[in-house]
Amino acid sequence: MTVREIEYRDALNEAMSEEMRRDKRVFLLGEEVAQYDGAYKVSRGMLAEFGERRIIDTPISESGFAGMAIGAAMMGLRPIVEFMSWSFSLVAADPILNNAPKMLYMSGGQFGCPIVFRGNDGAGGQLGSTHSWCVEGLYSNVPGLKMAIPSNPYEAKGLLKTAIRDDDPVFFLESERMLGTKGHVPEEEYLIPFGQARVARTGKDITLVSFGRPVNFCLEAAEALAKEGVDCEVLDMRTIRPLDIESIVRSVKKTNRCVVVDQSWSFGSPGSEVAAQVHARCFDDLDNFVHRVHTADVPTPYATNLEAEYMPNARRITEAVRACLYLA
Amino acid sequence: MPSTITMPRLSDTMEAGTVIKWHVKEGDPVTSGSVVADIETDKATMEMQCFDDGVLSKILVEPGKQVPVGTPIAVVALDDDDEGEGEDQGASPSAAPAPAAAVASAPSAAAPSQSPVSVPASAAYAASPAPVADADRMRVSPIARRLADELGVDLKRLQGSGPGGRIIKRDIEEAAAEGGVSVASIPSAAAAPKSSTAITPIVSRPRTDLALNPEGREVAVSGMRQTIARRLVESKQQIPHYQVAMSVDCDALMELRGMLNTQLEPQGVKLSLNDFVVRACAIAMGRHPFFNASWAGDRIVIHGAVNIGIAVSIPAERGGGLVVAVLRDADRRGLRELSEESKSLAEKARTKGLSMEDMSDATFTISNLGMYGVDDFTAIINPPNSAILAVGAAIQQPVVRNGQLAVGTEMKLTLSLDHRVIDGAMAAQFLQTVKQTLENPATLLV
Repeated sequence: MTVREIEYRDALNEAMSEEMRRDKRVFLLGEEVAQYDGAYKVSRGMLAEFGERRIIDTPISESGFAGMAIGAAMMGLRPIVEFMSWSFSLVAADPILNNAPKMLYMSGGQFGCPIVFRGNDGAGGQLGSTHSWCVEGLYSNVPGLKMAIPSNPYEAKGLLKTAIRDDDPVFFLESERMLGTKGHVPEEEYLIPFGQARVARTGKDITLVSFGRPVNFCLEAAEALAKEGVDCEVLDMRTIRPLDIESIVRSVKKTNRCVVVDQSWSFGSPGSEVAAQVHARCFDDLDNFVHRVHTADVPTPYATNLEAEYMPNARRITEAVRACLYLA
Repeated sequence: MPSTITMPRLSDTMEAGTVIKWHVKEGDPVTSGSVVADIETDKATMEMQCFDDGVLSKILVEPGKQVPVGTPIAVVALDDDDEGEGEDQGASPSAAPAPAAAVASAPSAAAPSQSPVSVPASAAYAASPAPVADADRMRVSPIARRLADELGVDLKRLQGSGPGGRIIKRDIEEAAAEGGVSVASIPSAAAAPKSSTAITPIVSRPRTDLALNPEGREVAVSGMRQTIARRLVESKQQIPHYQVAMSVDCDALMELRGMLNTQLEPQGVKLSLNDFVVRACAIAMGRHPFFNASWAGDRIVIHGAVNIGIAVSIPAERGGGLVVAVLRDADRRGLRELSEESKSLAEKARTKGLSMEDMSDATFTISNLGMYGVDDFTAIINPPNSAILAVGAAIQQPVVRNGQLAVGTEMKLTLSLDHRVIDGAMAAQFLQTVKQTLENPATLLV
């Protein structure tokens, strides 16, 4: 029996296509999603299958098409809005932050907003400061929204299907650097629930908490550290909102040490939130304060070597683990 | 000028105090009379008020750290301070890195001459007396502290391997492992420590084959436990104790109590047996003044006010132990008032803790274990009292009344007495008064 392996981008495509076959209210809109099969070929073949009423090319006007989609969601449709990059969502800040997450609250329950905003997040590779945004820290600050950040093709498909079926606005953060990554995705249908972390690796010495692409760097660091006799547990949080703090607490009570690896800037980030909650919940169980690995507190550099060093990577994670274990 | 808050003397015997919690943080405004911290003294945890209006510019003593009375623990930048001191209020970004720098330099404080250098040089801070040297403080990671407690490792014997000498989990595990090895190979407790991290394990017998045979462990004692230990040893060593006991027929008392409680229930009053005992003792103390007295070395002091202390146990989750709550002028107050105050003091003791005023100036003490079904017991005198009354449970039992065997309710009262103040006959007379009052309880109502 062969294990089916597909690319991350195709896992996203399967999730959307399956949900569109299942539910006629679901449609996709964004820049170049239809005629061009998607700027990153995520929506390849979808125009042919679903037609131009459900796969919609938009003008370069994020604020306009995000706002239009929010209106459609309020009226009962289930839009998927593709941002070519989350960096471009900043011009749509008002509809996506000020309207979508607050709609249910401000309308007194009259209007929900079942919408998915998805796109590439994080440094894509020499795209410069303005096109390399990690929006986790910025957007997870807002109550009323959900945020999923898949770390591999299997997670991407299962989480996106859940996102499309969710009744709240879901910010779905993909990674341009992982679109070509292959991984096992079964033929049969599955969904991954929100708010349930995945134990990507079990260990007893230290808990690494991460989400999205850096989970892979954590696993890489864990393998290297295992050779030194350090046994890391790696948690893939899958969603930031809701945050599965119980799984983190359970693990930290076992290991007594915690390193959070988060590719957003450190100030006011999911990493700082996790650290604060772990300090509150596990104070008497900690052998050291929660260590954090973030992108450096500077605009994203353009130079390849600087960009690589700016982001969390296996070496920086290894150093943090050693420091947290007093091995540095 | 900024004002310095020092560790206050909150009781006569207090020599040092621990900040349990700061209610304000650096940069918060404070006003005169506002509660800024909880302080644990040798007797209780009490609220500490601020006497100035301004901004709390600096916290000098972290929660959990014990410092001597008079030690500066915080600095308040006063409202009427001029502009120059404004920058000391912790709000300016340039001031923020200073404490961090102090922490960073702390590891080098191992060289004692350097420790004063680690004090941030802000004007308000420098103006206050130098805080106690940080180098003496034991740094222990939370899990290391808990493990040490569980494994019976004495932290004071350890040299921490973490930053600034912090004792970390590894140090405890290594110390426990070394302790285990030395126990297995050399049963004698005199086994020489192998290194600076070795500890003497508290094991009273050789290990048996039962792997789960529990080992002894040490439990740190609270300030309250230390006070209980010191005062009761003093009392038992210095006061010539003796006991006199008497049974009280409680039938009439139970009947009266039942009737009153039924009638007063709509008003939310529920009198306990102990309330009647307090009232009876207060009345008896008026007639027997030496029960309201203290031995003073070359004379006996008979007190003016009748203040009855009642022993209140503190639940384990609040740290356990025992405090004495004081019902002032108990002889001048009715049952209902005594009952209400006992209840509220006991509740306060068990939840937020009694103030020093709530606990001071008792002239006689009552300890009641009746609610636990104790028949009778003896208590240790609470100095400077000359007597303490131990009250057992009111129990239905066969009794002889008017020459007939009957079922009655009896309660045993046991006095512990200071023979320097009270002789046996005096004790018997006091108990007779209490007994007569309780057996004819209508007199308690007037």
